[in-house]
Amino acid sequence: MSTFAELLRTERLTKSFPGVLAVDKVDFDVRMGEIHALVGENGAGKSTLIKILGGVYPPDNGRILMDGKEVAFASTHQSLENRISVIYQEFNLVPDLSVAENIFIGREPKTFGGMLVDFRKLNVQAAEILATLEMPLDVKSYVSDISVAERQMVEIAKALSHDSRLIVMDEPTATLTEKEVRKIFEIVKNLRARGVAIIYISHRLEEAFELADRITVMRDGRKVDTRDIESTSKSEVIEMMVGKVVKEYFAEAGAREAPKQPLLEVRGYSVADAVEDISFTLHRGEILAFAGVLGSGVHGLLQSLFGVVPRKAGEVRFEGAPVRIDRPADAIRLGIGYVTEDRKNAGLLPAMSVLQNLTVIVIRALTFLRVLFIRSVEEMKSFTAMRSRLDIKLAGPHQRIIFLSGGNQQKVLIGRTLLTDCKALILLEPTRGIDIGAKAEIHRILRELADRGMSIILTSSELPELVNLPDHCIVLYKGRKTAEFTRATMDSEKLVAAQIGHTEGARA
Amino acid sequence: MIRFLKLYEKFGIVIFIALGSIFLVAVTPNFLKLDTILNILAQAAHGAIVGFGMTMALTSGGFDLSVESIMALTSVFMALLIPVIGIPMAILVSVLIGSMVGVLNGLVIAKLKVNPLITTLSTATIIKGVALLVAGGRMIVIMQKQFMTIGTGKLLGVPVPIYLMALFFGLFYLVVYRSSFGRHVAAVGSNESAVRISGLDVDLVKIGVYVLVAFTAAVASVVRTSQALIGMPSMSPGFVLVVLTITILGGTSLAGGRGNLWGTLLAAIFVSMIYYGLNLINVQVFYQMLAVGLVLMLALFIEGLRVRYLQAAKAMGIKV
Repeated sequence: MSTFAELLRTERLTKSFPGVLAVDKVDFDVRMGEIHALVGENGAGKSTLIKILGGVYPPDNGRILMDGKEVAFASTHQSLENRISVIYQEFNLVPDLSVAENIFIGREPKTFGGMLVDFRKLNVQAAEILATLEMPLDVKSYVSDISVAERQMVEIAKALSHDSRLIVMDEPTATLTEKEVRKIFEIVKNLRARGVAIIYISHRLEEAFELADRITVMRDGRKVDTRDIESTSKSEVIEMMVGKVVKEYFAEAGAREAPKQPLLEVRGYSVADAVEDISFTLHRGEILAFAGVLGSGVHGLLQSLFGVVPRKAGEVRFEGAPVRIDRPADAIRLGIGYVTEDRKNAGLLPAMSVLQNLTVIVIRALTFLRVLFIRSVEEMKSFTAMRSRLDIKLAGPHQRIIFLSGGNQQKVLIGRTLLTDCKALILLEPTRGIDIGAKAEIHRILRELADRGMSIILTSSELPELVNLPDHCIVLYKGRKTAEFTRATMDSEKLVAAQIGHTEGARA
Repeated sequence: MIRFLKLYEKFGIVIFIALGSIFLVAVTPNFLKLDTILNILAQAAHGAIVGFGMTMALTSGGFDLSVESIMALTSVFMALLIPVIGIPMAILVSVLIGSMVGVLNGLVIAKLKVNPLITTLSTATIIKGVALLVAGGRMIVIMQKQFMTIGTGKLLGVPVPIYLMALFFGLFYLVVYRSSFGRHVAAVGSNESAVRISGLDVDLVKIGVYVLVAFTAAVASVVRTSQALIGMPSMSPGFVLVVLTITILGGTSLAGGRGNLWGTLLAAIFVSMIYYGLNLINVQVFYQMLAVGLVLMLALFIEGLRVRYLQAAKAMGIKV
């Protein structure tokens, strides 16, 4: 396929954020009319790279060339002018407008001397674009009424209406059904046939191998390599993605004895749009990790166990007795704590102080007769205890929580659940968005909790966290258990392979 | 600028009071007399009492536009019931009826998940309609003169409404700052989804808030009705705006999560001072409305500045 002419090239492209080198001297190129898969673990720099191409972030250093000429990408507008369209995971569509209006937003055909939108023409033009791509979509339906796959199609049609020569797709199939994935594939191949170049980001390796002409692997902000798809293999790609996973945190914890007493037993558990028929047992003092990429259903499973989203089927036993957990209050009463992955929207109380954030669940117990007269001394005692136990760094108990660093905010949220005296702790992405030092600290805290008998379920999209922290790791792929590892059988390459649906030889 | 806004958050209303006092000293030689001050405080009472309730509503991230109608309904029922069941029972029953509107507001907002603004705007209209129906569209004169004591009587030389204002300040102070319910209210106003996954009953908190607001409106109505000695189905038009002015001027954030009860008390006194001063220099009622509207706009402007600067400061990594 190397006969195609080069369309875009980046030279030593670099972008850093405070404390992170997100994209590090990347030389990358895309040829006309090719599908170019871009793969890598979370945090490898894929998203930053495409956001630079999309004009969202200006690069700190390096050049971007199109057709051999240097071009600027200072805004999304300039990126579009260079005929590049980026389709992000969180779509850029207006839900209350029709499909046709979304495709031509800002460029609607006008009538009456430019005063009114010519809806007839708008709909005809939109229908033409959809027809060329064989998209079965009604141009008049509202975007809020159509499925995720159909929204994806609208985004593609919008890109095509801009006459784009390069379309970047960020995990287009992560939340789609098998049938929808097929349809998107057809469309993507159709685009290639028309000479459009496509950068295709996916966590599912088999998709990359089915679609792509070339594949680029990124790791830790750098490009590892670009290969022709015919001259590489899945296991080679996985090797490039993983690199050397440094066992930095818990080398010494490897010799822990196997835990015995079961605390939480889950059998045949299903959650709508997330997981099917999942069974596992969480023992006392054990750290159990669920691994899975977007679309694996891991988050849905953990949210459902705490009663945030309803379960479809399944049995749960806690300390041997069958229990029903329909609401978070049920879980808390049993002694299950929960730390959200979405600190900003579902965790922090931004207007309130650290102290108030910490004690919000248990405040009734800290109040005389549970109603009036908060016992300030007791409350301050809980604060002081958690502050030293979790080593929270802050100016004082009355400092507003939003002025703490991400790591310290996360410690406060962990402290909030610990104050409920829970026996099991569910954590989603416990170290998302916090710096390396604080990550290690959170890991240490979780390990200490487990050593003192706390049972922990967590999920993470960071490989070192999944490899080093848990005693037991279950991998889900498209809602089903596909692999299982213990500390003894843990193998980072097999773990990554299982997460992206490449399960041969990955049995525990 | 950030320092100024931080100071404003804490002491802003004090500046307003100082400016108001200067204005009053300028227009009236009698301002510094005890009588004048007591008069201003007594006139501040009903605004302050409903303001305490509104502070709670804003802290919960909500809003209550129905306070005026609740006052009218309570007023009408008092006028009708006093001759039948006597003053104490009439007050009790009417205040209960007024508070029930809060249950309705709370249920609709919490269970049907209707926006508080829309909900209370609708109930405001409905309740005003009910009040007019019950009263037959007329004002109802109350013959029992003893009823006037609550609004105009004095105890140890101090007007009764001032005692009521102090009592409610104390009550709400405990609820807002020293009760678990108050903490939950602020938490709901700060981040509702976080409170939900903390296993707390958000709906119950919201219902409680609207009952409390309705209760304050009903009590304020007792004061007003007693002062006028008339059951008024269209009581105090525009009062809800005055209460909002008081609450926002007092430093309670429209964004929820943070209430400032001291600020509300002082702002109520400040607004009372404006009214007093404007009356004294014979400014027409229409201009008084204009003045309150301007003060509200100013308070909202400064609140907006405060929020924007706080965000900017956070974005720049400045510790506030």
